[in-house]
Amino acid sequence: MSEVPSTVALVGNPNSGKSTIFNALTGKNQRVGNFAGVTVEVKTGETYNPHGKKLNVLDLPGCYSLRANSPDEKIALDALNGVLPGSAKPDLVVCVVDASNLERHLQLALQVIELGLPCVLALNMVDIAEKSGLRLDPAKLSEELGIPVVPMQANAGKGITELKQALRHPFPPPSAATWKAGENERREFITRLCELAARRPDSEQRTFSDKLDSLLLHPFLGWVALIVVMFTVFWAIFSFASIPMDLIDGALGSFGGWVETLMPPGDFRSLLVDGVIAGVGGVLVFLPQIILLFLFIGLLESSGYMSRAAFLMDGVMAKAGLSGKAFLPLFSSYACAIPGVMATRTIDSAKERLVTIFVAPWMSCSARLPVYFLIVPLLLGETEGSWKQALILFGIYALGTVTAFVVARILRGRLGPDKSANHFILELPSYRRPQWSYIFRHVIDRAWAFVRKAGTIILGLSILLWALATYPKTDSEDPGEILAHSAMGRIGAFIEPVVKPLGFDGRTGTAILTSFAAREVFVSSTAILFSVEETDDDVETRSLLRDRISAATWPDGKPLFTPLTMVSLLVFFIYALQCLPTTAVVAKESGSWKWAIGQFVFMSGFAYLASLLVFQAGRLMGF
Amino acid sequence: MTSTPAARRTADSQLTLNEVGVNCDVRISSLNGPACERLRELGFCEQMQLRKISNGRNLVCTVCGAKMAISRELAEQVFVSPIR
Repeated sequence: MSEVPSTVALVGNPNSGKSTIFNALTGKNQRVGNFAGVTVEVKTGETYNPHGKKLNVLDLPGCYSLRANSPDEKIALDALNGVLPGSAKPDLVVCVVDASNLERHLQLALQVIELGLPCVLALNMVDIAEKSGLRLDPAKLSEELGIPVVPMQANAGKGITELKQALRHPFPPPSAATWKAGENERREFITRLCELAARRPDSEQRTFSDKLDSLLLHPFLGWVALIVVMFTVFWAIFSFASIPMDLIDGALGSFGGWVETLMPPGDFRSLLVDGVIAGVGGVLVFLPQIILLFLFIGLLESSGYMSRAAFLMDGVMAKAGLSGKAFLPLFSSYACAIPGVMATRTIDSAKERLVTIFVAPWMSCSARLPVYFLIVPLLLGETEGSWKQALILFGIYALGTVTAFVVARILRGRLGPDKSANHFILELPSYRRPQWSYIFRHVIDRAWAFVRKAGTIILGLSILLWALATYPKTDSEDPGEILAHSAMGRIGAFIEPVVKPLGFDGRTGTAILTSFAAREVFVSSTAILFSVEETDDDVETRSLLRDRISAATWPDGKPLFTPLTMVSLLVFFIYALQCLPTTAVVAKESGSWKWAIGQFVFMSGFAYLASLLVFQAGRLMGF
Repeated sequence: MTSTPAARRTADSQLTLNEVGVNCDVRISSLNGPACERLRELGFCEQMQLRKISNGRNLVCTVCGAKMAISRELAEQVFVSPIR
């Protein structure tokens, strides 16, 4: 079996069902590759043809043409020409087209055929085409194009076997294109071909999608629907996620306790329990939220609603110098900036994409919530949960969002226009029943990426933070004193002059410092720094912690946490980019560490200045 | 010959897609502007029939079975003639 497997590339417009066919062909045997310098993914997988020969399958990014207008198109063209590093020139190309939309999809197919590679046309979504009254003639299409045509309904698994049959060796010869290369010639050929092989009914009747759109794109009702949908998603993420999150939290707590009973006390046990389990666990707790968020995004995308939301939001986003396509990434960032930054891939304009990535971390993410839940009740002198707290929480979200929009606008203006004008073009696909298999696969991919990150970057950082908080050691038993003696405590004392103008002491400064890798660490660091025993119940821990920090004083006896200090602290957390995984993802997605570090420095500086301004102005006003 | 949209329109008695009423069926007679290549790839080709669904900041129309939202600047480059 020394024979090199042939390479088959899948090419098609966005929304043509290419990924569904790819998944059906390759099953579990796939992996996602990123190519250096670019951020568009090409999936590769393996399948076997009916003769049992292994085939490598490339899923190229969805594109409208091979003119290299966008990063996706450049990748697709390079892959087809065999110049994409790390992938072989395809021996056969499967052009996936939406049968209900042949006039458009054939544009790309003809360009691919012109490259002179053997081709097979996967005529997908024949069910939708026939339902809309289109009369298809695959045999005629095949005859005119000179390549095999396979009618398919990939989301129902129909036509996959026939497609595999078409991938038999020897591959069909390249078609001798009967049309002349060129935009006009291609277009005329397609018009003629569609007259012959895909006749449209003359009368345009209103489909179900049209009726639904008259509601969902309505200038008033459309907005009501959008708000209801988004509110439901938010509510579901926050309320459903808390159940598995509590379970994970509890399980990690008992696991830590179990490890503690197994080992004698010592540095190694402390490293495992307080460093590794607590650190990685603290991040894994957010897994349910991320899974739920991607589930909803998958649902909204696969049903066709997401593009309606982008359409509605275009006017609002334009005020920030962005387009409707930036809506989904920014919206996702409310849950977590990481998927948000990854979702910017759908934005055509490179500069708009960079700006969206830049401001995404200011959409207040869920990791900030533990901090807000700690501070906000303290600010009001209440226990957790009241409408006033909800109002403040809303204000916090609004402040982050408005600042993000203002900065986006300024930044977009400074970056200047794109080299080629990018107009708003958005396809509004017909509403479809969600494809669960696709959604689940997508969710699992993302969840796994997150877990992997927790296992690498966050693990490393947890160990580093643990070491800083543990060494050098002292004989004291008091956790507060141990920490004060440690490297971390000394750094805290050292930075006190830096954070004092914001109203914080060295302990708060240290807690902020520890939270630079992951902001939610602030709560557990504060607990250690103010010597609060952590209990199994988060709410109770926070309540104990609130009692303790509201009693904390400066050496001269003045209270440490005045309302003004707390507002200053909140402002700091709204603006600071304290999330190492986000910085890593930004570097990867923007293709530049400079951009990622610039963002980190800018946001940290902005947070510092905003916090300074609040505290100093507040003091001048006598608070 | 001047080449302002207005002059072209008078010469060819054509409308741009922006000027057509909602729910009108029209046929694309020509494309003129920097984005025509892109428009053609998306199915806005000469002789293609389309129906305008809504107006606004971005307008919605169906062209060869697909529903597309395009900006007003793009629609300004699409010249159409009413079918009926």
